[in-house]
Amino acid sequence: MTTVPTLYGMVLAGILFGLGVLGVIIRRNLFFILLSLEIMLNAAGLAFVVAGSRWAQADGQVMFIFILTVAAAELSVGLALLIQFQHRFHTLDIDAASDLRG
Amino acid sequence: MQGECRPWFLRTEREGKRAVMTLSALIPILPLLILGLGAVVVMLQAAFYRHHALTWVLTLLIYLVALGSLPFVARTLPAKVTSLVLVDPYALYFLGLMLAGGLIVAVLSFGYLRGGHGNAEEYYVLLLLATLGAAVLVVSSHFATFFLGLELLSVPLYVMICYPKAGRARLEAGFKYLILSAAASAFLLLGMAFLYDQLGTLEFSGLMLASSSPGSSHLFLLTGYGLLAVGVGFELALVPFHVWTPDVYQGAPAPVSGFIATVSKGSLFVLFLRLFGQAAIHSDRSLWWMFAVLCIASMLAGNLLALVQSNLKRILAYSSIAHLGYLLIPFLALGPSARPAVAFYLTAYFAITLSAFGVVGALSSPEHEVEDLEEYRGLFYRRPGLAILLTMSLVALAGVPPTAGLLMKFYIVTAGMEASLWFLLILLVIASVVGVFYYLRVALVLFRRPSEEPLRSLPVRLLSRGEGIALVVLAGIVMVLGVYPTPFLQFLQRVVYPIG
Repeated sequence: MTTVPTLYGMVLAGILFGLGVLGVIIRRNLFFILLSLEIMLNAAGLAFVVAGSRWAQADGQVMFIFILTVAAAELSVGLALLIQFQHRFHTLDIDAASDLRG
Repeated sequence: MQGECRPWFLRTEREGKRAVMTLSALIPILPLLILGLGAVVVMLQAAFYRHHALTWVLTLLIYLVALGSLPFVARTLPAKVTSLVLVDPYALYFLGLMLAGGLIVAVLSFGYLRGGHGNAEEYYVLLLLATLGAAVLVVSSHFATFFLGLELLSVPLYVMICYPKAGRARLEAGFKYLILSAAASAFLLLGMAFLYDQLGTLEFSGLMLASSSPGSSHLFLLTGYGLLAVGVGFELALVPFHVWTPDVYQGAPAPVSGFIATVSKGSLFVLFLRLFGQAAIHSDRSLWWMFAVLCIASMLAGNLLALVQSNLKRILAYSSIAHLGYLLIPFLALGPSARPAVAFYLTAYFAITLSAFGVVGALSSPEHEVEDLEEYRGLFYRRPGLAILLTMSLVALAGVPPTAGLLMKFYIVTAGMEASLWFLLILLVIASVVGVFYYLRVALVLFRRPSEEPLRSLPVRLLSRGEGIALVVLAGIVMVLGVYPTPFLQFLQRVVYPIG
């Protein structure tokens, strides 16, 4: 089986990352913002795995597990705050929270 | 393995050394272990018996024990604990600084939280975990520890910002911080992945290979550095990644804002200095210029944008943006006096900022944050001690003698002059002059006699003893460092010498 050049893997990770960034910027629903953040983190994880396979080291996969774990922890906190947000603002639209400005 | 398998504490000395990773290898990270264990202990204590003062005292004890373990660690330096962590005198000093910062925030939080309704005990668990994250950042020498430390620092902060009751402003600040911090972490990770792809190692020392390895693609390296700079720029609140800072500082409780402004930024800057302080950044002028642009933008925008603010916490936020801009100058200079200058600056900055946020917290309670400048009018006539403390902090931030504020800028200028960074130094002076205006404007408001009844009568909250002591100690540090810094500076020059 011919190996996929690492460049393709990195470009894929970059594209996924870009989509995630776009999602964070464009989306107004908090849930989808958190989802886009997950996409960004996982794209970085993909980049790590690809890089690890290029150097034939386990480091890339270890980092991927770290990223997954931390993303899960971060997301659980984010979702808890999301529930509070819904409770307070009665909507998941982030534009509802614009009191602090300047 | 020969012989029967017995647990490590029953093995004989000789067998133990052969078969088991000696526990003495873990001594260099003893403060981290104490903090981690301490967080669990406090959590259990709060789970079984809710009592705010008890939790608070336990937290303080843990901090003091961690600080007390530093001399033991100092004897085993320099030490690499696996390739992830490097504890050298540089890291140890800043470890002590982060622990001290966490301790002071814990002391200041007691009085603040006591005035509110809602459970306060979990806050201390989060504070211990966040300090642990900062400590991990300070000793890290590997991208994995960098990431873990950063997340361990940030995730408790997401919750601490919304503590204890998630009101509208707090939730907004918390979400802004969460979304942007998670995005910044993702940028950092992608940058690390690109660098890993080029260098083949996740250790910081791998960056030294950057310019010498022939097969590396320059574009990928630069992209990796750029993404890393985006992530770091967000956390350090450098312009143009600073937009979250005023909102988050305004919405968060005052002690938490103090923590973010000092420990969170300081620990990342220490790591940043270790990471980029290698040769790689200076062999590549484009990297140097990228950070120079961030430095200039932060110094100027941080001070200019504060001119129109009427909220004290936002003013302090912009001031912290500007101060990180100033702090980039010795980083860019990297001469022999750069690291002691950074260490002195961070110490003085910690003391000054914590005392400023401490005063804000001393006046506030979780239900009512005293942040609008109008509420500070005539503070001198109502709470003269706090007004004097706040004035001292503002004067120190402006860089006026005899406070430490002048000397911290002075050492930065020294470091900059060694590398002949004239353009940056001139901008530093201009930015400082602009800064003096808004700092002194706030100070004047404190002394202005209220012409009629104040807009909102200030609920008088008695200072807890701990707060009073902490604020006085901080003020003492600022004045002493401003008047007689020599012994401390000599200590720093001995300790914080450049090492990998």
